[in-house]
Amino acid sequence: MSEQSLSAVEAELYDRQIRLWGIESQEKLRAANVLLINCRGLGCEIAKNILLSGINSLTVLDDSLVTEEEQIKNFFLTKESIGKKLAEAILPKAQSLNPLVKITADCENPVEKNANFFEAFTIIITTGIKTDLVLKLDKICRINKVKLISGDVFGMFGFSVADFLNHEYYEDRVQMLPKKRTQDGSVKTTIQVKGQIDYPELNKVLIFPNTKQSIDAIKKSNRRNGLFFLMLTLLEFRNENGRNPQISTKTDDIEKLKIIKKSIVGLYKISTSIFEDSLFEQSFGEVVPVCAILGGVIAQEVIKAVSHKEITINNIFLLDPVTFNGKEECVGA
Amino acid sequence: MQLDRTPCVLGEEARSLVKEAKILVVGAGGIGCEVLKNLALSGFQDIEIIDLDTIDVSNLNRQFLFRKEHVGKPKAVVARETILGYNPDIKVKAYHDSITSQEYGVNFFKQFSLVLNALDNRAARNHVNRMCLAADIPLIESGTAGYSGQVELIKKGVTQCYECQPKPTQKTYPGCTIRNTPSEPVHCIVWAKHLFNQLFGEEDPDQDVSPDSEDPEAKTEDGHSMTDTGNVKRISTRQWAQEIDYNPTQLFNKFFFEDIEYLLKMENLWKSRKPPVPIKWEEATTDGEKTEVKDDDNIKNTDMKVWSINKCAQVFAKTVDVLKKELSGRNFLVWDKDDQPGMDFVTACANIRSHIFSIQMQSKFSTKSIAGSIIPAIATANAIVAGLVVLHAFRALQEQYERCSAVYLRRKSKFSKFVLAADNELQKANPVCYVCSPKPFVNVFVNTNTMTVKEFENEILKKQLNMIAPDVVLDGKFVVVISSEEGETQANDNKTLVEMSVVEGTVLKCDDFLQNYELQIAVNHYEAKEKDDPLFKVAVNPEDLKAKEDIKNGGANGKKEENHDEDSDDEPTIVENPPEDPQEGSSSKRRKLNPPEDSDDDLIVLDEIIE
Repeated sequence: MSEQSLSAVEAELYDRQIRLWGIESQEKLRAANVLLINCRGLGCEIAKNILLSGINSLTVLDDSLVTEEEQIKNFFLTKESIGKKLAEAILPKAQSLNPLVKITADCENPVEKNANFFEAFTIIITTGIKTDLVLKLDKICRINKVKLISGDVFGMFGFSVADFLNHEYYEDRVQMLPKKRTQDGSVKTTIQVKGQIDYPELNKVLIFPNTKQSIDAIKKSNRRNGLFFLMLTLLEFRNENGRNPQISTKTDDIEKLKIIKKSIVGLYKISTSIFEDSLFEQSFGEVVPVCAILGGVIAQEVIKAVSHKEITINNIFLLDPVTFNGKEECVGA
Repeated sequence: MQLDRTPCVLGEEARSLVKEAKILVVGAGGIGCEVLKNLALSGFQDIEIIDLDTIDVSNLNRQFLFRKEHVGKPKAVVARETILGYNPDIKVKAYHDSITSQEYGVNFFKQFSLVLNALDNRAARNHVNRMCLAADIPLIESGTAGYSGQVELIKKGVTQCYECQPKPTQKTYPGCTIRNTPSEPVHCIVWAKHLFNQLFGEEDPDQDVSPDSEDPEAKTEDGHSMTDTGNVKRISTRQWAQEIDYNPTQLFNKFFFEDIEYLLKMENLWKSRKPPVPIKWEEATTDGEKTEVKDDDNIKNTDMKVWSINKCAQVFAKTVDVLKKELSGRNFLVWDKDDQPGMDFVTACANIRSHIFSIQMQSKFSTKSIAGSIIPAIATANAIVAGLVVLHAFRALQEQYERCSAVYLRRKSKFSKFVLAADNELQKANPVCYVCSPKPFVNVFVNTNTMTVKEFENEILKKQLNMIAPDVVLDGKFVVVISSEEGETQANDNKTLVEMSVVEGTVLKCDDFLQNYELQIAVNHYEAKEKDDPLFKVAVNPEDLKAKEDIKNGGANGKKEENHDEDSDDEPTIVENPPEDPQEGSSSKRRKLNPPEDSDDDLIVLDEIIE
């Protein structure tokens, strides 16, 4: 299934979204091949939304085994899945969401994959991986013109970071033409407005203490959203500990987070009041409705990136765990 | 031992509130499915679902609790089965029913800790709003339309209610625009739907499709209408169509040639307009290429392309034939956008009429949008809004109402960093709201000489003021004008308001027992003068009407006619750009059209970064 136009069956199934983004977008979606790395709490939300949207294929790369903790928050899994390979266990329910999409499970470790494995995709989505793998993937993606978006949920907090390369997009704008005659109503026409966003490569965006990267591009703005630094702190916690903060070791983990925050604040020469330490309390677990929000935002970015319709978020999205504001933060450009 | 699904960041007390809570989810559509999944996976253990609808194929791109084999089954029932699959240890009850039904009174609502609305129409939202106010149960209201959406808490005495701010009324079109002087595609589509009803549907005198000789614009200088000079009083369209056995050529020539010729005689109409060009069957069918009406499995060629006049005529003839057969043995057909022959018939007729009036013709795809009042809907917006609904639910259960200010999902724009924009504080109740203020009061403007009691009940009390079963008495006297008891005031139904002594200055006491809602209505006598004037008006302050009309003019894009909620799956609440959304819109406030970003100093940086 690729460039040929939509069948009547597809038109009926996707009717309500085609009325929003148009048939051209739908045709681009159905030609898209998507790789999702890790399909846990956030991952299954993203997978659900892009399967429903009608892409050509989805490959789920996840080397974990299903635990009971994972099973209860992942709607692709059942009690029978526990102990099985996650990527394979999600297949039946994932496929039932949309029989038209080709879904493939891959249970290998993403770190051990050859670079050429990643070349074939239109876009790669990652969740829950360490920064060094994100940066490695970004290098491969840049060479092969593959788009990349990476997201995480830490408790009530969530974010995404995108590298959509030199992304061209268009938007429809409705214009009112002057009235033709004296009588009722004016004439509306729709025009296409084109734009381009040049995304910075991610090694200019995700910079931690003890690396040689220059932080000048990030420092350019002195009015950074403090949540950006919360994001860096949590990512660095995972980089150092090989896991996310856990409620069972809450006190210790908060201490570790405070130490990491200190070094990040030092690197960027900003005040520790850039965000409240109390936000660490909100960073445990993977809160399902927050996964739903981030899963919606990330899937929508994937749809926009693939279809080139509508402006994308450039380049970071940050969900405020207290106010529920969700804002774009442009970093590294 | 069972694992605890409640989020660990909530704290012990909140986690037990979640486990003990009893939640009502009203609507199992786009947002409802997502909300139910979030509830089941977040440790809620007692959930009830109510939805009137059954599952349609076009739901499956986002209502992910349903699959193809569920098409035709009740949404509430299937949604229950699917979420029990996520968590078999919880209690879920499903009602395949309307929430406005008498069975769900104030006591029904009182058993819940929280009500979550995931509705698709304003009437049901208004009703649940009133029930939750009456039962004093917090309500989380939500909606999406395309890329946009919103979530807000409604709590008696704490926030505004769903009806505190007047919402833009639905655009309707004056009869003479539809019958005599269409100027936009929508006018021809409305006309085509009326034609369907005249020929095959339930006859409605307000849906006449023939030229209107009483059009004030058509009157000659000496004030004579055309009626006395030439309007032949003929038998009903339906009767005539049956007499000629729905002969397509004769029907075609009547609607697209003779009636148009007649319109041309009303010369005043065409002084400043381009006159229509009548077209005969023979002409339409020989015109241009020979079109084969082929069932091509390629949607771009069938639905997305504008049909030629020849094709329109062929489709007209073919569908008239099919519909005639469907009608035989039945009293009438009900038009439905998803019914092929009916939709094809409307597409063909609307386009032939557009052609006659030099209006741009439309593809079947866009005709369907307008004729079916379809609100686009996507999975992602529903997922985001439903996530916010359940986050609000966590806070509302802890009675942290001040932390539940409204949040708006917006289509990403170059000019703003916000995708989700939260209000800084709760919206306070309107002190003169005709629903939630201590002494609800409203002015209605009706023609007391011509409006009947039945019309007053249906058009004003039920449609405008959203009552379900009102009782009405004349204030001060003990005259019962309308009773909710079956038959009790039937004798009044066809009397005019004047005949019941309801005149300028009369105050009516209305009571809806189900909604536990009392309203005083001041009656104002009003006669529509211009042809665009509404037939009646409703307002707390008569001065508000002025402002309301301005909004309407700025905001309506004229897509809708009467049945606006016909297909809005996921409840349309807002719109970011007024011209884009004709809908039910903006739930409560227009203020949200200008979101709270001016208060956010980050915004200043925006231009440096983006430009």
